[in-house]
Amino acid sequence: MIETPPPEPRPGARPDPRSGPVPADPALIHGVGDRAVAWLHRHRDGFHPRPEADTPDREVRDRLKPIGELALIGKVLFREGVAGSRQAARSRQLLDHAWREQLDGGRLLAWMQREEPLSPIPFEIYVPFRELGYSSPEVEENARLTHRLDSWAALEALPVRRLGLAAFERRFGLPASIDPGEAVGATWLGRLPEPWTVGLHIGYGITHTVFHLTDWGENPDGLPTDIAEYLARWLPAWTDDWLEIGHWDLLGELLVVDACLPRPALEDQVWRAFAAAQAPDGAMPAQGPLPEGDGREIFDEVYHPTLVAAFASVLATSRAMGSLIGEPA
Amino acid sequence: MKQLSGAIHDLASEVVSVLRDGDHRSVAGAGAVRGDEAVLRVAAVRALGADVLLPTTLLRRPPEEPVLALVREAMRTYPPGPDASSATVWSHWAMERTVLRLTSTDGVPDRGGRRPTGAPPTAQPDVSDLESAPWQRLTHQLAVLGALAVPEADSAVAEVARRRSLDVSRGFVRAVRRRDWFQAAGAGRWLAAVRGAPGTLGLDTGLDFVLHMGGADPRVALHTHAARWMRATDPGGGEGAPS
Repeated sequence: MIETPPPEPRPGARPDPRSGPVPADPALIHGVGDRAVAWLHRHRDGFHPRPEADTPDREVRDRLKPIGELALIGKVLFREGVAGSRQAARSRQLLDHAWREQLDGGRLLAWMQREEPLSPIPFEIYVPFRELGYSSPEVEENARLTHRLDSWAALEALPVRRLGLAAFERRFGLPASIDPGEAVGATWLGRLPEPWTVGLHIGYGITHTVFHLTDWGENPDGLPTDIAEYLARWLPAWTDDWLEIGHWDLLGELLVVDACLPRPALEDQVWRAFAAAQAPDGAMPAQGPLPEGDGREIFDEVYHPTLVAAFASVLATSRAMGSLIGEPA
Repeated sequence: MKQLSGAIHDLASEVVSVLRDGDHRSVAGAGAVRGDEAVLRVAAVRALGADVLLPTTLLRRPPEEPVLALVREAMRTYPPGPDASSATVWSHWAMERTVLRLTSTDGVPDRGGRRPTGAPPTAQPDVSDLESAPWQRLTHQLAVLGALAVPEADSAVAEVARRRSLDVSRGFVRAVRRRDWFQAAGAGRWLAAVRGAPGTLGLDTGLDFVLHMGGADPRVALHTHAARWMRATDPGGGEGAPS
């Protein structure tokens, strides 16, 4: 079932460099997210961390990661008013399903906390659910206990991950285990290095630094001015690059970053190519064309880029609509 | 054409050598050659254009007559035809302009009246395609027109590069990412010439990087050395744009 037809190319939309890039049609941007959410909704069982009764515990822990991403992005999808009632309703159903069926009302998170008390993963997954009104006293007790340990603050993690933990602590209401300014300064992006050195891994570091600084797009003002200016300068060079490579997963995340900037470009040429990469059923390939395989294999390959496509779409639609009604830049 | 590419390679290497070492060796003009070799050398001079005179321009030395003669001969032998590309026309214009600047004051022909044939240097070719080009194509085109990127450049091309320096900076990023060293070196040279690189671009380390990775190609080395020379001698330290 396809609710929104794939976009037709818009002729005559050649950018004039003297007036900046042409922004994409909000309807085109919205269509990407609408189709992506429809796909995620249809394939929601793919998020189950224990797809079989005998799925090994180790695999169950690995399969919590997609639910965490679903929670963080699903919350934004649900909260954004411009998402439209159908999209918001589906997002809420996805989150409900994830909490009740897949996380067993939070009991799976508590189980993992007992298995690996110092793993931040259950806490990171729990925070967005809690913000949506779901709750598990046991998960919270475990989190507060662990947070008091020196070991929690001493956890060795990439600076961007440490920044994320500081953000989740703030969102949960716990004292930060690292000074937020210090956490930003330790990231690659915080140092504003040579933009021509960006590769795939640095690229994901950049996008996640922005996600954490903006509470996953909910608070674009969270971007420090120097970082916002740096991104406004160099983001077009990176989007151009990953568009040409056809790396839709990172391109989608870069489009999220664009939508978090004070003056998002929402570039028509980039969004049209992104939309064209999406399959008619809403799935977004990670790179190149859609993979082949059984349902589970395909889900594992495309759930992330599809979530990201929905994420980029909802934020960019919101910004595009905001600019149409004269939202201050 | 392999012979010609070899001759261009050799000539560019000579220019690089003089720029790098700052010595007083002559470029191209030393030693008489005849026949095919002479023809090849003139063609190579035409291909490299005004950059044959780059040591004179950058090191502020008096021009060497044999080199000037070669450049004049190249202009005479290969005037741009009616269907010439914009790049060819601009390259010819740059040669004319450079010869005039080096042999006269205020663009007036020298004593011998040896003013190059063709359009007078005040009449500049069209730049509208550069002005309207997306930043990716702009950078590609500017790299081809790198010989125009000299200190105090006042051509219409330089004006576009100056006005669109952020676009050229993005082009530099793109070119390095794509390992297109010639384009990266050309973009870097333009940014040095128009002092247009934002501080966060890291142009100086970028030029070192490009030279290290792509400098085996003398055309890359030529652009890079020219850029580094301009950065090093720029009284403003090359920082003409905000970070």
